[in-house]
Amino acid sequence: MKRSIMAGAAAAGAALVLAGCSGGAGGASGGDPDTLTISGWSVSSTPEFQLLADGFEAQHEGISVEIVDYDPTEYNTLVTADLAAGSAPDIITQKEVKFVTTFQEGGQLLDVSDVEVPDDIGGAASYEIDGTTYATPYRQDSWVLYYNKALFDEAGVDYPDGSWTWDDYAQAAEELAAGTDAMGTYQHSWQSVVQGFANAQSDADILEGDYAHLAPFYERSLELQDAGAQQTFNTVSANQLTYQGEFGKQNAAMMPMGTWYVATLVSQQASGEADDFEWGIAPIPQLDETTTGTDSTPITFGDPTGFGINAGISEEKQELAKEFLAYAASEEAAVALAEIGITPALLSDAVVDAYFGAEGAPTDELSRFAVQTHETRPENPTSSRTAAIQNILLDLHTAILSGSSGVDDAIAEAEERVANEVE
Amino acid sequence: MTSTPSAAPARPRARASRLRRRNTLIGWSFILPNFAGFALLTLVPVVVLFYMSLTDWNIFGTSNFIGLENFQRLFGDGSFRLSLVNTIYYTAMHVPLTIIVSLGLALLLNNRLRGVAFFRTAAFFPYITSIVAIALVWNLLFSPDFGPINEGLRFLGISEPPGWLTSPAWAMPAVVIISTWRDMGYYMVLFLAGLQTVPRELHEAARVDGANALQRFVNVTLPCLRPTMFFVTVMLTINSLKVFDLILVLTEGGPGQSTTVLSQFIYRKGFEENSFGYASAASVVLFALCLVVTIIQYVWNKKRTV
Repeated sequence: MKRSIMAGAAAAGAALVLAGCSGGAGGASGGDPDTLTISGWSVSSTPEFQLLADGFEAQHEGISVEIVDYDPTEYNTLVTADLAAGSAPDIITQKEVKFVTTFQEGGQLLDVSDVEVPDDIGGAASYEIDGTTYATPYRQDSWVLYYNKALFDEAGVDYPDGSWTWDDYAQAAEELAAGTDAMGTYQHSWQSVVQGFANAQSDADILEGDYAHLAPFYERSLELQDAGAQQTFNTVSANQLTYQGEFGKQNAAMMPMGTWYVATLVSQQASGEADDFEWGIAPIPQLDETTTGTDSTPITFGDPTGFGINAGISEEKQELAKEFLAYAASEEAAVALAEIGITPALLSDAVVDAYFGAEGAPTDELSRFAVQTHETRPENPTSSRTAAIQNILLDLHTAILSGSSGVDDAIAEAEERVANEVE
Repeated sequence: MTSTPSAAPARPRARASRLRRRNTLIGWSFILPNFAGFALLTLVPVVVLFYMSLTDWNIFGTSNFIGLENFQRLFGDGSFRLSLVNTIYYTAMHVPLTIIVSLGLALLLNNRLRGVAFFRTAAFFPYITSIVAIALVWNLLFSPDFGPINEGLRFLGISEPPGWLTSPAWAMPAVVIISTWRDMGYYMVLFLAGLQTVPRELHEAARVDGANALQRFVNVTLPCLRPTMFFVTVMLTINSLKVFDLILVLTEGGPGQSTTVLSQFIYRKGFEENSFGYASAASVVLFALCLVVTIIQYVWNKKRTV
């Protein structure tokens, strides 16, 4: 009896230890020189990865491309863990610019300065550190102004024509709120909705530690909240409002949002999730008249999404991986991406034609201008200090918009914190 | 021949030690799976943590030994001080409130009426509910303009109800309320178990002597509950000092930094800003805080028991 108990316990112990050792999904394709693995997220609802994989396979006989699916909210942590363990895929998708320096300083990214990308591709500068390029962009969303033509007609307000400054925007929002049942505009709770424009249009660098340029943007947001033209930040966070719901269900007549929303809105209108109404895109309001109008180049912000190469891949695969990067940045791939509603980093005429070719997409000239012509400044500068500074600015954002702190006090506190806490 | 007299007493001793060794081995084989997991996943990382707090590691590359520089930076860091204060504030509010509520529930439900099992389950239910669901629902309940709680307060005549999770002054009390609601069931169960150890004869004797309910509670129930109370207080304090997931999903440390606690500070520094050495130093401070508080409670309890 005792012997069998001992034997049973030993067997159970061994089984548990073995179970702990095995398992763990590895992403590295190891030594197979004909397979490339790419890190991706939400593959089933993010078709761009499979699209690029299929396109590359079509161009290269005998090569197969596999996508390793990661959880989207924890993507960077999971990829970091895999890189540290040596089991990360060959191609590391750079989901956020904030993490590029982490990977690069840790020696995880290969030098890809010799990969040929088109000259006018957007966002390439975000991946350049000390003169060396560590990743190439394939996609760059920028921020534009969406507007609901039906609600504008109801309130009798003129459509945005590309010449708006922020004051014009605020005035229109108040008129729309007065003339319809909906809110004039919807400002989502992300810090980027206010700070992205403030930083880009004031030509400010958040790494410098001066944030006085944020004041007019926050004051305007607070005025719109007080005037009832915009849902309050507290309600947006407490009720967990979604921007797709607010604009799609016509709860707001305008909304500054990224170009990725075009594809979502088109498909939601087709499926009935969103109301059926006419809408358009306009360039985002500008700080002053120098950059307004369809003769100038409006300034907006956005970060690219790109591909980097795992520095640990074998020599023989490096060439293949670099070819993939070049393909993803090429016009051919950009047209394919535009056809499914992704905003590529390369915005040539052919690409923009494909982008607006989807059924349900706006067809007017201004929408085309808004998507194609803009100076997109990076939302996140490429530096190891960016993540810490953005966290401090997030605290500033919530403090001001929830009414907890005055604008000037919050800015002074943020400046002091950046000076003291960020190395 | 001379070995025989010495062999006789040696044999029982040898057999005794062999038996003890065998029992020890059997014991070890039973706890080995659990201990192996604990050692690998908890003990070793904690030991490594103490070393990491003295380096500037950022997950990739080599770690450079920088001595106590992380700690010096910590004590000059305004955010760290603020999160420390917030953690102590949260603990100071949460511990007494939870003890009172869960002890009250336990006293109330310590009877054999029909349906008491339903109420015990209902009180315990929040503890096993998904924390994301809790955050979603309570955010809606506490919504300052549209939530039912403020509607109720306005109905009662309070014209300016607090902003709860959106106001820096009221965010932490709101978090404490939600946290108490969540934990009361678990500690109620512990108190219920402790109440079963209170001998009925003592209550009878006290009643015969003319003590009313309150006097019985203070002089009979509470002293008998001391071991349970000690256990509950220690566990509650440690868990309050380490609170993380509830605050993260409820307010993410906001508005501003009014609900940022130490665990969230560590998480931000480590996983969002990739300063693992610095985050480890903050973890060591949290560990020291929990240790000191627990030692104080042990010493106090020991004095009381003597």
